Amino acid sequence: MTTSRTRELIASLRQELGAAVPLPPPPVPKVEPPPVRVFPKRRPESRYARSAGEHTTALLGIGHVGTRYATDVVLQFQAELAVAHEAVGTELPDGWAADNGLLPLRTRVGDHREFLLRPDLGRRLDDASLAALRSGAQRGVDVQPILADGLSAVACMGSGLALLEAYTRELESRGLTVGTPMCAKFARVWLEDEIGEVVSAKVAAILLGERPGLGTGDGLSAYLVYGPRIGKTDGDRNMMSNIHARGTPPDQAGRRLAVLTRAMLDQGTSGVSLDLSKLSGELGEAAGTSYRAPQRRVRLVDVDRERKR
Amino acid sequence: MALRATIRGTSYRFGSVKEVLAKANPAKSGDALAGVGAADAVERVAARAVLSELTLAELRQNPVVPYEQDELTRLVEDTLDEQAYRAVKDLTVGQLREWLLETSTTGARIRAVSPGLTPEMAAAVCKLMSNMDLMVVGRKAEVVVRANNTLGLPGRMSSRLQPNHPTDDVEGILYSTREGLAYGCGDAVIGVNPATDTAESTAEILTALDDLMRRNRVPTQHCVLSHITVQMRALSELRCPMDLMFQSLAGSEKANTAFGISVALVDEAYAMMRELGTTRGPNRMYFETGQGSALSSDAHHGADQVTMEARCYGFARRYKPFLVNTVVGFIGPEYLETGAQITRAGLEDHFMGKLLGLPMGCDACFTYHAAMSQDELESLKVLLGAAGCAYLMSLPVGDDIMLNYQSTSFHDIPSVRGLLGSRPTPEFDAWLEDVGITRGGRPGPRFGDAEAIR
Repeated sequence: MTTSRTRELIASLRQELGAAVPLPPPPVPKVEPPPVRVFPKRRPESRYARSAGEHTTALLGIGHVGTRYATDVVLQFQAELAVAHEAVGTELPDGWAADNGLLPLRTRVGDHREFLLRPDLGRRLDDASLAALRSGAQRGVDVQPILADGLSAVACMGSGLALLEAYTRELESRGLTVGTPMCAKFARVWLEDEIGEVVSAKVAAILLGERPGLGTGDGLSAYLVYGPRIGKTDGDRNMMSNIHARGTPPDQAGRRLAVLTRAMLDQGTSGVSLDLSKLSGELGEAAGTSYRAPQRRVRLVDVDRERKR
Repeated sequence: MALRATIRGTSYRFGSVKEVLAKANPAKSGDALAGVGAADAVERVAARAVLSELTLAELRQNPVVPYEQDELTRLVEDTLDEQAYRAVKDLTVGQLREWLLETSTTGARIRAVSPGLTPEMAAAVCKLMSNMDLMVVGRKAEVVVRANNTLGLPGRMSSRLQPNHPTDDVEGILYSTREGLAYGCGDAVIGVNPATDTAESTAEILTALDDLMRRNRVPTQHCVLSHITVQMRALSELRCPMDLMFQSLAGSEKANTAFGISVALVDEAYAMMRELGTTRGPNRMYFETGQGSALSSDAHHGADQVTMEARCYGFARRYKPFLVNTVVGFIGPEYLETGAQITRAGLEDHFMGKLLGLPMGCDACFTYHAAMSQDELESLKVLLGAAGCAYLMSLPVGDDIMLNYQSTSFHDIPSVRGLLGSRPTPEFDAWLEDVGITRGGRPGPRFGDAEAIR
């Protein structure tokens, strides 16, 4: 009984799918090429993409192919991803700090992978750097700026020097003493605590590459702490992010950071207990704690094609 | 209690249940950072062998944070369902694994014993399971909840629409929301992580989302993921609409203190939502978790990150939440280094949460300094969908322009649904068909057309 039912089933399947070949190939259809999509649209194609673009940098109005992206969207996305990954993966070359007149420092991190996996090691100097800092850096200054790679050496090498110079200039113009210019490799934010403590600075300010976002790897952040010493926490710090040409340019950031520094010295504190209510006009976004300005997207992929139609 | 195993003539001895639990974990960078993981693969297997012979009663007697030191341990111990516990207490962890995998163990049977399980038990059995084991049981352990929508039914996969904006520009948030809805996303919640943590901004965003949902008759829920105290002020003082109340949870009292919360505070928030929340319920809360959060505030008490994660679920289940999700790759490579680790963690968290009776979703994601490729991330979404994950996130091309990380995209949700033959919640499904965004569950004439939403 069972056997004959199975046979019947097999026979009917063969009849349905074709006797010799299951699912024989159908005749080849005429394939119309889909319209070429340009991304981001040079001339916005949809009204929606155009009006959304006035309010958000989110990628909207990009359409779909089935349920997936158009080819141009995929390429732009992959290019943006590559920019972010390149920024994370690039190491600060060993001679870069000295070549640029900065005291070179290094943390206890051995290599790049360890830098990503061991934040604790990136918060402390290695022995040689500690000795170099003790013998080569000025002590008892008002402010100790520290340039560092953080999560983007690309950003550090990009607008890092410009930010350091602008900040130093603005501090000096306010009559403040500024410590020896220095640059730390494989550094995390809290490294400023140890460095500031060793050089007895009133304020330590680390300027370092921030965690890249999609398509952006050149942003710097600055973290400032009053009375730096090991054991300070995030609540003791003030920060400013998104420092780069399309966000807050280095010149403007240097000025705002100097205003912030002056307020710390005047009030003798930093972090959550620092009162910035009277300075919001001068400080802009540095007065807030979490504000981050939107970043305009840049077209990364441009295929050069001379195609005859 | 002897905690000893011999493998190929080498004897391994462990000092405590907590040590056995930690060393039984698959390798994770966060456990290495904490210094609690196994030294090598053989020691890991030895720890699993010891763990497999421990009974659930022994695990109850040995929570990873002592009763006297931690209110979460006390919460779990004092509210455990004794009847359900008695049904399983003599099983070893190895036997629990086999019981869960048996065909005769249905979702209903798992649901019946779930209130008798402690987080440490869920974490323990998790460590004896492969990824596919985790998926098979995760899929069986159905959890169905209701706010405006009914979430978690078989054959359904939902999504949170996450229209974040770096400056909380309400118009910008609404543009992203409309586009997401047009791809069939947002049936779990339309949930915004605000850039500004104020009650006024929370109320403003919720009111705008509420208007959009009413205008278009969208059957879903809204939420602004500010700190719970900020939401409480928005709800009680500004009287804004609020379908779900959100908070991030951690696995110890000390870690929750760093988050600015306690059991008493969340109790108060929950009571307020039951009185003033704007869905018909009965489920009204939304929680997020993620492996590594306890260690990041040095509040892990020497325990591994999987066990600490399970303890978050022990906390969450007190409030019968509508949504819980693990933000699996957000915290960074020092906790989950690679695509393999993030994938494993996503499946672990989904399994443990479901086993403890929670409607688990997952933010399958990476930060740009983790070693995970976009292809691996896309694979994880399919694995989670196949495992019966209640919901995933959804953003324009998966790019969070406020938090700077990569998650699930608007396009991924209909793609995973198509691959697995799953549909959104029934209420939302009907709405999508009505508007023409879908036809018979497949892309319809208005699919991807944000102008279809006013």
